[in-house]
Amino acid sequence: MRLLLIEDDPTLGEGLRDFLRADGHRVDWCDSLAATDALRGEPYDALLVDWQLPDGSGLDWLRARRARGDPTPALMLTARDRLGDRITGLDAGADDYLVKPFAPEELSARLRAVSRRSGAGAAQARSRFGDVEVDLSACTAIAGGVRVELTAREWALLEALVLRSGRIVLKADLERLVLGFDSEVASNALEVHVSALRRKLGHELIETVRGRGYRISERASS
Amino acid sequence: MTVGKIPSIRLRLANALLLWAVLWGAGVAVAVGYAAQGEVDELLDESLQSTAAVLASALRSAYRDASPGWVAAPLPVSDDGEFAWQLVAADGAVVQRSANAPEQALHTVATAGFSSSPAWRVFGAAMGSEGRMLYVAHTLRERIDSRAEAALSAAFAALSIGLLAHWWLRARVRHELLPLERLSDKLAHHDPLDRGQALGAAERAELAPVHAAIDQLGQRLARRVAHERAFSSHAAHALRTPLAGMEAQLAVALRECTPEVQLRLQRVREASRRLQRVVQSLLDLFRVGADVQRSVVDLKALLAHLPIEGLAVAVQTQGALRADPDLLAAALANLLDNAKRYGARQVVVSEPSPGTVRVVDDGPGATPERLQGLREAIAAQDYDGHTGLGLMLADLVARSHGGSLSFPAVAQGFAVELTLGAQGTDTV
Repeated sequence: MRLLLIEDDPTLGEGLRDFLRADGHRVDWCDSLAATDALRGEPYDALLVDWQLPDGSGLDWLRARRARGDPTPALMLTARDRLGDRITGLDAGADDYLVKPFAPEELSARLRAVSRRSGAGAAQARSRFGDVEVDLSACTAIAGGVRVELTAREWALLEALVLRSGRIVLKADLERLVLGFDSEVASNALEVHVSALRRKLGHELIETVRGRGYRISERASS
Repeated sequence: MTVGKIPSIRLRLANALLLWAVLWGAGVAVAVGYAAQGEVDELLDESLQSTAAVLASALRSAYRDASPGWVAAPLPVSDDGEFAWQLVAADGAVVQRSANAPEQALHTVATAGFSSSPAWRVFGAAMGSEGRMLYVAHTLRERIDSRAEAALSAAFAALSIGLLAHWWLRARVRHELLPLERLSDKLAHHDPLDRGQALGAAERAELAPVHAAIDQLGQRLARRVAHERAFSSHAAHALRTPLAGMEAQLAVALRECTPEVQLRLQRVREASRRLQRVVQSLLDLFRVGADVQRSVVDLKALLAHLPIEGLAVAVQTQGALRADPDLLAAALANLLDNAKRYGARQVVVSEPSPGTVRVVDDGPGATPERLQGLREAIAAQDYDGHTGLGLMLADLVARSHGGSLSFPAVAQGFAVELTLGAQGTDTV
């Protein structure tokens, strides 16, 4: 998943970023609300937001996004543990609420749970598309009963499409979800990864929607 | 001091008023009786003198018509046993007397004017030139009776006025103390932390300083609570965030390190988590007693969020509790952590009665002496050196709910019981 982490504490922010990256996620870490301005419009699978930030309230920032109609799943990461705070956080648009200190493993599990619950056509932890089985929590893909080894980018691409199964994912969004801000990648990098995935998991899994983007094939989904 | 032994302003004033009324009545009675005595004497003497004048006139007329050597028989002049008169010759012989007058002359030697004998008050008046004397008298007993009657009437009147005044003043005192009772009622429901709830203006000038003092006390308390809440909030943020950072960094390091280092890092992580629980307990201590927010708590769901590694928790409960979920979770988390640290592997959490949560572990338990020591320390809230942070927090949580912490005897292991007060139960 591509994640936006807003956390001002460098020890925690860096630790979470590295832990989640090691889990296979693409993480953009901002240490203030102002730093998120540069990422406005970027597509994310989930937002991890601290409540108390040096330049404002993460809760208000999230509330504003919700007011603009942004449905991206969001987790509040905060030191506020009171019942009233948790209710306020969830009412403001957070999909989950995690009180510091927490185990990063629990954050990962909650991220998966939130992504499963979110939006129409939400993916299950384990989904089957024809003879391809994808386990998002275990980060594994099995084709024809055989486990398939995927690179990090290939997995990111598969995960982005599975999380949005049933929907067309625009090519530009997919590039940002999978490749992030890596300026070193070639202009046709996405197509290369799509080809690799088709080669490993079968050509029917990913359908090209000409001029727009890609989606998990309806035939594979049925 | 119990309420029954505290002196009552109303009772003390009532007693003082009663004493004052009795003393006032007695004082007035003595004063009036003393004044009446003189007046009664004067009045009776005047009546003797007037009677003597009338009698003398009547007797002169009677003797003018009498033949020489005439001796008059006693005349039934008066049927009043207290009044008498005598006509006494110059030689001291009684010439004539009223029926109740003594046979002997009241005075054998002519005595004009007022005089007293042991039994009579006498007024003497000369009758003609032969030396005859007219003595008009009434008994001293009659005089004393008259004085006593006047004094008793005065005392009765004074006492009646005094008691009437006492009854009226007592009613006034009760009425004047009503604002104090209303102030007490207001204070019983007064929450100085609620800005919308004012004590209001004083009903009496004497109560204005009390209102002002209470308002100032409330403001100081509100400032202190606000300060503590702010501190608690800042402390929570300042403590929790670095702990979360340590947890995240350790999680990453555990993934990246060699197997040799992994064991050491795992120990550091366990220590970090123990530190997290201590910090959490300390932060919870700040909250206890500040504001208990009861809601329906599903004990099973609550315990599901309190996993303690290596400890199996069985829940035996049917209903739901009404308690502050955060505080109850803090108390239970500490009790479970205690059980783990003292060697328990399994804990049973049950509700032996509505509003009561019992935690029983299968650990080695405590000696009877240790249990007794714990009971005494908890009863006296003497935690320092006698209980750990966990039991202290659990006791404060129980007390904040209007309940208590106890240690029921069990055949095996250690048992702690949290009673959450009268509002501890609810139906769902």
